Amino acid sequence: MSQYQVSRLLRDIARDTEIARRCRTELSIVLNNYNLDDAERDAVKNWSVRALYDMGVNPLLLLTSSMAMGTDIRAYTAALNEKR
Amino acid sequence: MAEIVIGIAASHAPNLANPSMIRGMNEEQFSRIRAGFAQARALLEEARPDAIVIFSSDHFDRCFFDNLPPFLVAVGDSAEGPINEYLKIPKVKVSLDSELGRFVVREGLENGVDFASSADLPLDHAEVVPLSYLTPNWDIPIVPIVVNAFAPPMPSLKRCAQVGAFVREVMERWPKQKRVAVLGTGGLSHWVGLPEMGRVNAEFDRWFMNTLAAGQQSEIIARYKNAEELDAVAGNGGQEVRDWLAAAGAMPPSLRAQVLAYEPLPGCGIGIMAWTQAEA
Repeated sequence: MSQYQVSRLLRDIARDTEIARRCRTELSIVLNNYNLDDAERDAVKNWSVRALYDMGVNPLLLLTSSMAMGTDIRAYTAALNEKR
Repeated sequence: MAEIVIGIAASHAPNLANPSMIRGMNEEQFSRIRAGFAQARALLEEARPDAIVIFSSDHFDRCFFDNLPPFLVAVGDSAEGPINEYLKIPKVKVSLDSELGRFVVREGLENGVDFASSADLPLDHAEVVPLSYLTPNWDIPIVPIVVNAFAPPMPSLKRCAQVGAFVREVMERWPKQKRVAVLGTGGLSHWVGLPEMGRVNAEFDRWFMNTLAAGQQSEIIARYKNAEELDAVAGNGGQEVRDWLAAAGAMPPSLRAQVLAYEPLPGCGIGIMAWTQAEA
C-alpha cells in the first residue's frame, strides 16, 4: 500500500475537475496513472470514505476530493461515524 | 524602514465567500461576522498600508507531500485564485509586492529563517476569503507567506510566532518608507474531514483570542507544545492558529489588540481581531 499514491490521486481529483469527471466515467483508465494496491483501488472505485479514512489518508484531502466527486457532506460524515 | 501599522487576524472559512452558503447561514450570526469584518476593514483603511503581509495556510491546492515547505513566500508579480472549483468561490487576481516578498526571503536565508519561495503561487481561499471583506477592491499588494498547517510534521506554534517576530525585524531593515499591514488567517476550532466534522470548541476559541489579545501568546505556546494536544481541543483545522500566532509575533509593542467578533458557526469558530495604535 502506498498512501502517497492514493493521496496523490485524491489531490488530483480535488484540483482538477476533468480528473474528477473521468473518475466517474472511466475510473480504470485514470487509475493506470497511480500505483494503487487492490484495497485502495476498491476503496476509490466504491468511493468508500470510511475505507480511505481507515487507511490513514489525510482527512482534508479526503474531504476535498469527496466534495469534488459530488459526495453529500452529510453522507460523508455519516459514513465516517458508522459503527463497525 | 517599513512600519507595521496594523495587524488583523481572521478566519477564512470558505462558506464566508460562497454566495449560496452565505444565503444558507443564520442571518444574525452572519450579520455579526460581517460587522466584525467591516470594523476590521475600517481600521485597515485608516492605517493606510502600502502592502499586506499575509500569514495563511494551504489546503493541498498549492503544496503537497511531494514538496512541502513549512514557510513559503509568494514572490511573483500577481496571484490568482482560488484554483479549486468545488468551493465555488469567485476567482480574483491580486498584485503581489514582489520586491518586499523577495526581501523577506533574502533576509531570512541570510539570518536563519529558511523560507521557500515561489514565483508562481496561486491564491487559496485562505487569502481570498478575508481579503474579500477587508480589501474588496483588491487594490493593496500582498505578500502571502503560506504556513504548513495541514500536513504533519508542521512547524511548531513557537516557531510560527518566532517567524512572525522575524518578519517584523525584516520590516525594520527595509530601506525605504513603507506602511505594512500584517494579516493572519485561519481557524479557529474546526474539524475538517473527520468524524467530528461540525464540532466547534467555543471555549477554546474565546480563550485563545483573549489570551492573544492580552499579549500572552507564550501561554498558548506553552500549553500546546505539539500538534496532537491542539488537535484534541481545536481540531485539525485549529492548527491554522499558527497564522494568528505568526501575525501576533509580528506586532510591534506600539499596537494594542482587540477582539472584534467571535461566532461559533456550525462547523467553524469564526474569529476576527485587530492590533492598532493605542490611543494617546
